[in-house]
Amino acid sequence: MQSETLFHPSFMKGMESSCMTERVMTMPGADTSQARPGEVVLSIRGLSKQYGKRMAVDDLSLDVRRGEIFGFLGPNGAGKTTTIRMVLGLIAPTGGSVDILNKDIAFYRAEILPRVGALVETPALYLYMSGRDNLRAVGSALGGVPKARIDYVLELVGLQNRQKDRVRTYSLGMKQRLGVAMALLQDPELLVLDEPANGLDPAGIVEMRDLMHNLSAAGKTVFISSHLLPEVQQICTKVAIINLGKLVTESTVEELTSGHGEFSVTLERAQEALALVQAQNWGRDARLNEHGALITPAPGNRGRDLNLFLVKAGFAPDTIAQATQDLEEVFLRLTNGGTGGVQ
Amino acid sequence: MSTVMTSAPAENIQLHTSRPSFFGLVRGEFLKVTRQWSTWILLILVVGVTVLPYIIETARPHFKANLASAPLTVYYDQLGIGLSVLRIFTGFFLLIVTARMVGQEYQLGTIRVLLSRGVGRLQLLFAKLVTMALIALILLIVGVLLNLLLTVLLVAGIAGNLNSFSALTSQFWSDSGIYVLYILLNMGVSILLATAAAVVGRASVFGIAAALAFFPLDNFGTVIMLLANRVTNSDFWLSITAYFLGPNLNQMPTALTAGRVASIGFGPLYNAQGNHGILVDGTHTLVVAAVYAAIFAAAAIWLTWKRDVKE
Repeated sequence: MQSETLFHPSFMKGMESSCMTERVMTMPGADTSQARPGEVVLSIRGLSKQYGKRMAVDDLSLDVRRGEIFGFLGPNGAGKTTTIRMVLGLIAPTGGSVDILNKDIAFYRAEILPRVGALVETPALYLYMSGRDNLRAVGSALGGVPKARIDYVLELVGLQNRQKDRVRTYSLGMKQRLGVAMALLQDPELLVLDEPANGLDPAGIVEMRDLMHNLSAAGKTVFISSHLLPEVQQICTKVAIINLGKLVTESTVEELTSGHGEFSVTLERAQEALALVQAQNWGRDARLNEHGALITPAPGNRGRDLNLFLVKAGFAPDTIAQATQDLEEVFLRLTNGGTGGVQ
Repeated sequence: MSTVMTSAPAENIQLHTSRPSFFGLVRGEFLKVTRQWSTWILLILVVGVTVLPYIIETARPHFKANLASAPLTVYYDQLGIGLSVLRIFTGFFLLIVTARMVGQEYQLGTIRVLLSRGVGRLQLLFAKLVTMALIALILLIVGVLLNLLLTVLLVAGIAGNLNSFSALTSQFWSDSGIYVLYILLNMGVSILLATAAAVVGRASVFGIAAALAFFPLDNFGTVIMLLANRVTNSDFWLSITAYFLGPNLNQMPTALTAGRVASIGFGPLYNAQGNHGILVDGTHTLVVAAVYAAIFAAAAIWLTWKRDVKE
């Protein structure tokens, strides 16, 4: 249904050939021209937040670089939203600092935060006003936004036909899109999105994914928190996983899902082959996955030597390839099944 | 790179260099207030109740005779009634609109949208207060002019001329000015009370309920104190009422004009000898109102400044 999609279909046509990218890249302004690829846009250092005896966020440190789509993952109650609220200056940290564009937001929030677009949890909107008036009201806080810019973001999120309707009458997906429009209103350099896919239908999620890619291609940096791990795996270049307020890992998606030098082998009599491999010094961690494939390290970390070993032992492999893991598997393993418990 | 420009470079630079603007915030607050139907409905009600006493006056017997024999007394009565109605109902209006303006930002969660754009907590609070102060000022000017117009129409309609206006003394105009300032002070206290209530409750519903309940409870408190005095025979209970906000505000015009302008509502209580050791004069009522206003303001500022935004 068109009203539930994130962007108007006309904007989705030819998106792969950079239509959206062209539309997003509107800012050759002074600040962007100084942008350096790879520069750290968001730097979190030793960030902590304590509520009573509970550490909601515990000594968290992260670097997010320009152009990255950075996934921020963790089970419910891990401290993601608290971290995002501290990044946006909504919650005062107990300790640590947040630098955005190399400036500490504790001292430069009025200068820096206008260059950050944010959507935190469910979109917060003035329900009694129209979509357009919502953008005007928020834009006026920063001295006003040109009418053309409001038209542009409304068109970008496909709400131009409903712009004069009261937000109260919008579906959840439309409210989410208006929230994204609000976040993009000031053409931010850093976009902080907390569960942006909430309320979106599958088509809307695909369009959100495309928007993220196009924003990244336009030199924008996206910091995104989401529970939709397959989406994160497709969208993000880098992820950090937190659990119980602590950073568990920070890595590229590729590294996390690479399988750490293991190989996936499909072969007949897999159970017997597993027993043989596990008897070897290098193969103690071998196991069968849910599809019956043998997941094993290789002697000397070389696939060719693993193949030779199996052939000589009478277990000629049908296929042998580097093992990869789903981000979901990695996430569940690192967060004790996503329960937030101690690993 | 084939970049499609959707807005002029100057506008782009303006977007990138924009900072939170206090006057922009005030403009935004006006937009939010004027986009609510309830604001206009309340305003129509305020105008309606302002007109009502003048309609009732037209049906009052002896009005024409009184106007001819003691015009100054009639005008002082009109001043007391007309401006009291204006004071009370603009008070309701400001309590509701202010509590809603502040509370809704928490209730809808939109405060996080504004703060995450770099707007300061206190900057936002003061923008709301300035907006409400401007609305109050407009309301007062329009209300006073409306009362003046209605008085002229009433007198012209009943007496057939405006000759009785010549009986108005400089003292009357001075007292009228004091009454207008008194309404302004009431408006300020109402705005601060509603702001504090909404900030404490972080919701417009709580803010409106608490703000509207304050003055009735405050006034009714004098009855409770009177009962306590009757039961215990102690003047202590009476003297407490000298520090109640509502009774002090009710007493203020009479106290400031040496009794020339009548008060409406409960005032501080006295014993049979007419005192309880505390002199409730104009200065006392002003000090009590100022202390309450300072407490409301301090509570709103402190909580807004120090509390995390979890909405």
